[in-house]
Amino acid sequence: MTGRIDPGSPMQQTVYIVDDDPAICESLCDLIESAGLATREFASAEQFLARCTPEMAGCLVLDVRLPGMSGMELQSKLLKSGMPIPIIIMTAHGDIPMVRNALKAGAVEFLTKPFQDEELLAAIEEAFAFDRAQRTAKTLERSILDRWKTLSERERQVLELVTTGMLNKQIADRLNLSLVTVKLYRRQVMEKMQAESFADLVKMWERVKTPENQKL
Amino acid sequence: MPGLLRLYDGQHMTTRVQRPRERIVEFVARPMAISFFFVFLALLWTFPLQKVIAYPFVFLFFGAIMCSAWFGGFIAGTMAVVMSSLAIDFFFVPPFYSMTVGREFRSYVAAFVICAIAITAVSSARKKSETAVKTARDELELRVQERTAELQRSNAEIMERERQLRELTEAIPQQIWRTDAGGGIEYCNRNLIDYLGKDALDLGRETFSSILHPEDAPLFNQHWEIARASGGKFEVEARVRGADGGYRWFLIRGNPQRSGDGEIVCWYGVHIDIEERQQAQQALLISQENLSRLSRTMSLAEMAASIAHELNQPLTALVVDSHACRRWLNSHPVNVERAVATTERIVRECTRASAVVSRVRSLFTRSEYVREATDINSLVRDLARVMREDAIRRNVSIKLRLAEGMPRLELDPVQIQQVLLNLSMNGMDAMAESKDARELEISSGMSASGEVMITVRDSGSGLDEQTRARIFEPFFTTKPSGTGMGLSICRSIIEAHAGRIWAEPLPRGAAFHFTLGSSA
Repeated sequence: MTGRIDPGSPMQQTVYIVDDDPAICESLCDLIESAGLATREFASAEQFLARCTPEMAGCLVLDVRLPGMSGMELQSKLLKSGMPIPIIIMTAHGDIPMVRNALKAGAVEFLTKPFQDEELLAAIEEAFAFDRAQRTAKTLERSILDRWKTLSERERQVLELVTTGMLNKQIADRLNLSLVTVKLYRRQVMEKMQAESFADLVKMWERVKTPENQKL
Repeated sequence: MPGLLRLYDGQHMTTRVQRPRERIVEFVARPMAISFFFVFLALLWTFPLQKVIAYPFVFLFFGAIMCSAWFGGFIAGTMAVVMSSLAIDFFFVPPFYSMTVGREFRSYVAAFVICAIAITAVSSARKKSETAVKTARDELELRVQERTAELQRSNAEIMERERQLRELTEAIPQQIWRTDAGGGIEYCNRNLIDYLGKDALDLGRETFSSILHPEDAPLFNQHWEIARASGGKFEVEARVRGADGGYRWFLIRGNPQRSGDGEIVCWYGVHIDIEERQQAQQALLISQENLSRLSRTMSLAEMAASIAHELNQPLTALVVDSHACRRWLNSHPVNVERAVATTERIVRECTRASAVVSRVRSLFTRSEYVREATDINSLVRDLARVMREDAIRRNVSIKLRLAEGMPRLELDPVQIQQVLLNLSMNGMDAMAESKDARELEISSGMSASGEVMITVRDSGSGLDEQTRARIFEPFFTTKPSGTGMGLSICRSIIEAHAGRIWAEPLPRGAAFHFTLGSSA
C-alpha cells in the first residue's frame, strides 16, 4: 500500500518498513503481505521522518544500520516528538547495550537478522495490539475531553471537588452555594459527561485530569 | 787567608771612589808581600844550607819564586825573581855582600834569572788555568744546583697538575677509562670502579668483553674493530654489568690517542648512562606496538563485521523470501503468481550472496607474484636484527645456527620473512610466562630429502597433541587476543613456495619446521 494517506480519516494499521537494502524491503513487504497486512517502505530514516504523521497507525520495522540517520537516532527522534508508533528493530549484529537502550526507549521487539517469519509476524501482531490499545485510549480521552469542554465554569469546579471525595455540603461551603444548587450542578455534570455512575465519572476524570490540568 | 777574604768582601762593599786604592793593594802590595815572604824564607834557609852543599846554592829561591807565582800570580812571581836575583847577587855570588857580579859568575846569574822567569811564567800560567778550572767547576756546580731546583719545582708543578687532572676525571659524573692499544683496561675513574664494583687490579687483566652483556659484546667489538681499522672514534650502545650483577644501558664512546708517529697508543672512553632513555624508548616502542596490534585487530574485526554484514543482507532477504514463498503456496487458494515472483527474488538473492563471497576472496588474494634469488641465511640474519630490540625487552636471547653453503632459492623474501617473523613472535609469546632461560633458536640446514629446511625453536610452554593437530587451521588460536590467522597464512605462503610446514612438540618448548623447494 503506497501513496499519501488522508490524515483526516481513521487509518488502517500498516507496517512501515525502513531499510536501505531494497531487496530486504521487498522481501519483507512480500512476507507481510502474505499475512494479509498493509505495508509501506522507506529507504532511509530521513524519508520516513519527512512523511510521518501522528495519525499513522500500525508499527515501524526499522533497520539499525542506515545511511545517514541511524535507526537508533530515528527512534529517539520519534520519541521526542511524541509520535506514539511502536517500533520493531532489526540488526545484523545485536550487541547487548544496543538492545538494552532500544528496549528502554520503548521498542516492542528486537530482531536479529536473519529471523524466522513467525518471529516477525508475532512481533508485528504484538505491536499492532499495542498500537490499537494506545489509539483506543487516545480516542476515549479525546471524547471525554470533548464532553468536559461542554461544562460551564461552575460545573467544572463542582466536578473537580466532587472527584476529590468531598461531600455536597462541603462543596456548598467552599463555593458559597446552597446545597440544592450544588446537587443541581452535580446532576448536570453527570448528564453532560454521560457518566453512568459516580464511579464512572471519577474514572473519566482520573483519565484526563493530569494533562488537561496542565494545559489549563 | 782571612785578610784576602776581607779584601774580597770589601770589594763588594767599596764604592767607585775607592777603586784605585784597591788596585794598588791587588797589583802591588799583595804580590810584594807574598814574594817578600817566600824569598825571605828561602834566604833564611839558604844560609845554613850553603855550609853543607857547594855554593852558590840557589835552588830554594826557585822554590820561593814558584810559590810566589803560584799564590801571588805573575806579578808576585816577577817580584820574587827580582828579589831573588838581588839576594843571590848580594849574598851568595862572589864578591859576597856586594851587588857586583864576578866575571866568571855572570853566565851563572843570567841562567838563574832566565830559569826564574820561566818558572814564574809556567807556575803562574798553571795557577791561572787551575783557577779557571776551579771557577768553571764552581760555576758548573752552581748551575747544576739551580737546574736541580728548577727541575724539582717543575716536577712538583707537574704532579700538582696531574693531581688536579685526576681530581677532575674523578669529579666528572661519567665513567671514564683508558685502555692500551689492544683493549686491555689500564685505568678506570672512581665512578666506573664504583659501578663495576671491582678495583683496578682486577680490571688490569680484563678486556671489555667481560663487563659487557654477552649479547652486546660482539657488536661492541665489531665497532671497535672498525674504529681501529679506520683510526677514528667509535660509539656504541651496550649494557654494562654493575656491581650487583644487573645490567644498565650505556652509550660508550671511544677515542684513540696517537703517538707522534701516528700510531695508536691507547684509547680513552666514556660511558654515558642511558638506561632511563632506553627504558623510555622501550616504553614508547611497547605502546607503539600495542597501538599497531590494536589497530590491526580493530581493522580485522571491522573487516569481519563488514563481510558479515555484506553476507547477512542477502541471507536475511533469502530467509524472509523463503518464508513468504511457503506462505503463498500454503494459502487458500494457492497464490502461484506471488509465489513465482518470490522465487525469482530468491534466485536473485542467492546470486548476490555468491558475488559477495567471490568479492571477499579476491580481496584477500595477493595479485603480484614475486620470486627473487635469495640467500636464506641472510634473510634470517636480517630478521634477527629486526627482532633484537623486541627480544631484549622480552628477555629472550636469539641464537642463530645457520648452515654454510646453502643454495640460493627463488622465493618472495617479504613473505618468507613474514613467516619467520610470525614463527619467532609465536615462540617469544610461548616463552612469555617461562621462568627458565628464554631461548629462541633459528637454524637452517638441508633436510634428508635434500630440501632447504628452517627451524624455529623455543623453550616455551610447548604444544599438546590437540593443539598440534589444529594449529595451522584458520581461526584456531590459543591466545586470548589472537586472530588465529597467523599460522594459517604461514602455511599458505610456504605451500605457495612448494614447501611444507609442521610443528613438533619438544620436551621443553616446541619447534616449527618448514621446507622450501629448492627449485621453487
